[in-house]
Amino acid sequence: MSLSCREALERATELVTGTLPPDARAPVLAHLAACAACRDEVAALEATAALLRRHAPTAPPGFWPAFMRQLDRRLARERLPAGVRLRRGLGAVRHAWVAAAAVAAAVAGLWAVMRPGPPPSDPDLARVRILVTEAMTTALPALDETLDLWRVGLTEPDVVFTRGGR
Amino acid sequence: MHAEDERLLEAFRRGEESAFTALVIKYREAVYRLARRMLGNHEDAADATQEVFIRAYRALARFDGRSKLSTWLYRVTVNLCLDVRARMARAPLAADDEVATEGASGSDLEDEAAARETGRLVRRAIAALPPRQRAMVTLRLYHDLPYQEIARIMGCSEGTVKATMFAALRKLRQALDAHGVRV
Repeated sequence: MSLSCREALERATELVTGTLPPDARAPVLAHLAACAACRDEVAALEATAALLRRHAPTAPPGFWPAFMRQLDRRLARERLPAGVRLRRGLGAVRHAWVAAAAVAAAVAGLWAVMRPGPPPSDPDLARVRILVTEAMTTALPALDETLDLWRVGLTEPDVVFTRGGR
Repeated sequence: MHAEDERLLEAFRRGEESAFTALVIKYREAVYRLARRMLGNHEDAADATQEVFIRAYRALARFDGRSKLSTWLYRVTVNLCLDVRARMARAPLAADDEVATEGASGSDLEDEAAARETGRLVRRAIAALPPRQRAMVTLRLYHDLPYQEIARIMGCSEGTVKATMFAALRKLRQALDAHGVRV
């Protein structure tokens, strides 16, 4: 069966890259023997493929030992026990939790201040203060003042407020 | 799957870390070469190669072995490099600074300089191809993969790979011709 130029060129890539099955080679070669235009085209493709193959990229000398050391370091982190990895992961978001806890405490404080009723007793306040950490007051400097306000209550009109209490 | 890969994979699943190292040593060059051609420079290719093996380490325990390990690794590499290229978006892919090529081993200085210049033009011509074409050309010419396997890696039909290869080779020839490289 004789091939058209189009059919021959469709198989040209397989021919020049060495993947054309032997039984499919004969009709392509027969076409090339009779068609100078296709022959030139295929020869150019073949030369291009050969040129590209000669210029295969290679890693710079000494690269692989450094690569393996770096990969080992990264894999060592992957190999840590799940518990350690979980603790590390939580450590990374610790500041976010502190901020969230501070905001929650502030909201609770404001609610306590705004709610109707008598001011809290000292034991109530002590229980809340235990929950307020230094990190919370750093993240939310007005937290102490909010607790003071809670203690004093908004219902006392003539209170002079100072940081740390009256 | 290749028998040696299967043995190494089994050993890795049993907890032998050295089996994973053996797999890395076996495939690192091929993964790097593909990444280098797709990303165009050593630094990005080195980072991508690391990332491919980290991903492999995490996922190999669940690898079902339906495809060859090499096919799977190349697919991870191609997808990762396509992602990296998409992030780099409009940054042109510069022909990189590699100097050691097989063609540049001649003892004659003039020949060596000419080979180096040809190598630079080849890299530039490949860099000008669209990323998927670049991947296909690399997998066929540098990794010697059959079209069927390239199609599996690229997620397209074998016919598409053949047509793309033809178009890519033509484009490369024209680009090299335009720079006076005789092919």
